[in-house]
Amino acid sequence: MNAHINVNAVDADLVTMLRENIERYTADQYSFEQRRTVLRVGCGYSERAWSDYAAMGWLALRLPEEAGGVAAPVAATAPLMEAVGAKLLLEPILASVILGTGLVLKRADAAQRADMLPRLADGSMRLALAHQESLHAGTQTPCACEYRNGAVYGHKIAVLHGDCANRFIVSATNAERGGKVSLYLVDAAAAGVTCRSFPLLDGRGAANLHFDGAAAEPFAAAASPDADARALADCLHEAAVALCSEALGAVRALNAATFQYSKVRKQFGKPIAVNQALQHRMAEMYMLEQEVRAFSSAAQRALEGPVEGRERIISGARAFTCSAARRIAAEAVQMHGGIGISDELDVSHYYRRVMVNGTLFGNRDFHLARFADAGHMSAPA
Amino acid sequence: MSGSVWRRAELLRSDIREFVRTTMPADILRKSSRHLMLNKDEYVRWMQALQSRGWGVGHWPPEYGGLGWSTLERFVFEDELGRAGCPWIIPFGVKYVGPVIYTYGSETQKQRFLPPIVSTEHWWAQGFSEPGAGSDLANLRTCAVREGDHYIVTGQKAWTTYAQWADWMFCLVRTSHEERPQRGLSFLLVDMRSAGVSVKPVRSMDMCHHVNEVWLDAVRVPVANRVGEEGGGWALAKFLLINERTYGSGLGESKFALEHLQAMATEQNDAALRSRCVELELRLLALECVSYQTLADMMAGVETGAEASLLKVRASEMYQDILEATVDALGYAGVAYDTNTLHGEGPPPMGPDDTAGILRCHLYNRAATIYGGSAEIQRNIIGRSVLGR
Repeated sequence: MNAHINVNAVDADLVTMLRENIERYTADQYSFEQRRTVLRVGCGYSERAWSDYAAMGWLALRLPEEAGGVAAPVAATAPLMEAVGAKLLLEPILASVILGTGLVLKRADAAQRADMLPRLADGSMRLALAHQESLHAGTQTPCACEYRNGAVYGHKIAVLHGDCANRFIVSATNAERGGKVSLYLVDAAAAGVTCRSFPLLDGRGAANLHFDGAAAEPFAAAASPDADARALADCLHEAAVALCSEALGAVRALNAATFQYSKVRKQFGKPIAVNQALQHRMAEMYMLEQEVRAFSSAAQRALEGPVEGRERIISGARAFTCSAARRIAAEAVQMHGGIGISDELDVSHYYRRVMVNGTLFGNRDFHLARFADAGHMSAPA
Repeated sequence: MSGSVWRRAELLRSDIREFVRTTMPADILRKSSRHLMLNKDEYVRWMQALQSRGWGVGHWPPEYGGLGWSTLERFVFEDELGRAGCPWIIPFGVKYVGPVIYTYGSETQKQRFLPPIVSTEHWWAQGFSEPGAGSDLANLRTCAVREGDHYIVTGQKAWTTYAQWADWMFCLVRTSHEERPQRGLSFLLVDMRSAGVSVKPVRSMDMCHHVNEVWLDAVRVPVANRVGEEGGGWALAKFLLINERTYGSGLGESKFALEHLQAMATEQNDAALRSRCVELELRLLALECVSYQTLADMMAGVETGAEASLLKVRASEMYQDILEATVDALGYAGVAYDTNTLHGEGPPPMGPDDTAGILRCHLYNRAATIYGGSAEIQRNIIGRSVLGR
């Protein structure tokens, strides 16, 4: 089993640099207090931080060099997603940089790329994937949204960052392509788009969208009729893996905070960490973190590995990570005691983020079912 | 248990069902059954509705305005109201300080403080926890220095629920420094309008304002407002906490929440959710059995001292698990949290009307295993009682 990230030597340097860059920036510019200010006054995320990310090249990581990027493989975004989890970044990195950009790279033709890539790189374009329709199914819901005569009709729910995106990527069926699900670009400001925005439990923004004849542009890269559907499935895999990386960042931060607190919080004249009952629970939290770390990096490798067995590892990682993160977040709250349930400490913010992420793009049950359906395989290579 | 005790309790149960149908203010029940936020006025009207039947203080002895309920009736009362989705019975006056005053207070204190609790005129707050004294309550630092016929009280209380509405706060304070920290504590009743009392709101993880920091800066409290002996506060606090644990078990709330979850499972026709419901139902039944067993033991006078802790651990963890399953059952609706809808302003962005309330209730109840003696402390108590250390 390979322990290294599946990137070449150049990418490994890139990952190291990126990691240092992210740590420096978030330590200086994204403290919990600064984040709270954003939550109080902002639109769910910090426009200043977003333009900083653009200036530092985070938004262009995966873009080709001519668009100002470094053409990094998707695995190189892992440090970014870990930072998203560690610092609870509010900006649309998962929605726009991972999912939106991923779809554009896979499905846009030359003209669409020339139009969109520079704006994705400089942050002026924020994409959101409008795919979910049902409250209860996972990500593979039958699609009731329809595309006909250059426009989309239908309803999408819980569009992550749908409140602040300026362009949506909408999944819709197309009778001309034999009813297959295809992807369409819709301007947020287009006539026929109704957007009801709302805050998520963790403070980020989202929206329910209604399309009633909104002008929609198909992705134009030539390919088979199911190319969009395959690109969507691939990008949802990438999102699942990104959520594992985000969870890793979050559980690392929660564990570090809890272990530290247990050493300084005194009750009955001694630090609470001397209680063996708590030591065992913290040992469990640590083991879960290590499992999340290993599972996440196996899922990263699976993204670039053979198709066979990919879904099993990715859905397995996601299902495992959902429950591990939930358990760690609940333990972190409990061991912090009263302060753990206050909004003034970051622990409760991690707890809420873990709750939301446990549902987005397929919850634990959804991924567990896919894991089961994927059949048995030997250990990941 | 004698048959007449059971018959009286069952009679009470049917009276309560009738009350919920006919007397319970419908606007308040509508909000509480959706776990929405109630304001002070709504809580007071709720307590007054209970008091219209004498039930707010039904467990008090008749000489203080109560109905002299048996332990069983008291239990049935909480169970039935919780099961109907009624609001929290604000415990600080009727359940916590009232019994302390009629058990340990002077005649003057009884006459002065009990009637305004019965009439709901006084809202009480509980001043026990401090930043450095949570699980280790005896470690509290708020000190009261005697000056003539007053104590001068200085310190900080933490996690004080609804102190923003309180007229009075009962406080555990340090009146002397002894080798055993429990020995130097006294139980004081503090008028919240006194000079030097300030209340600072603390937002909880449900983004709502339930708890506060209460700062006491040289607050003058008459010695006449001390309940029990100076230095004898610990026994009163223990009496109060055992009441809090035994009767705050929330079996009824769990039943209400589980029935709601079962309805969701049926509606969604989801086999995994249904089997999760069955597991929870089994645990709930076990809790109900152990609750009645404990009541029978208590009424027979056989107690090990750990019953209250057992009920508290099981009930709080069970309620959390039901709420967690309910949040899962909300699916995507459970990611949105528009706090405006918690006050009854419009429907939530997605899902059923009570979506935001369920999320709020889930978040707030992470504290259920922390307040009133954390689950860890309860297990310590059980362990000590079992192992005899």
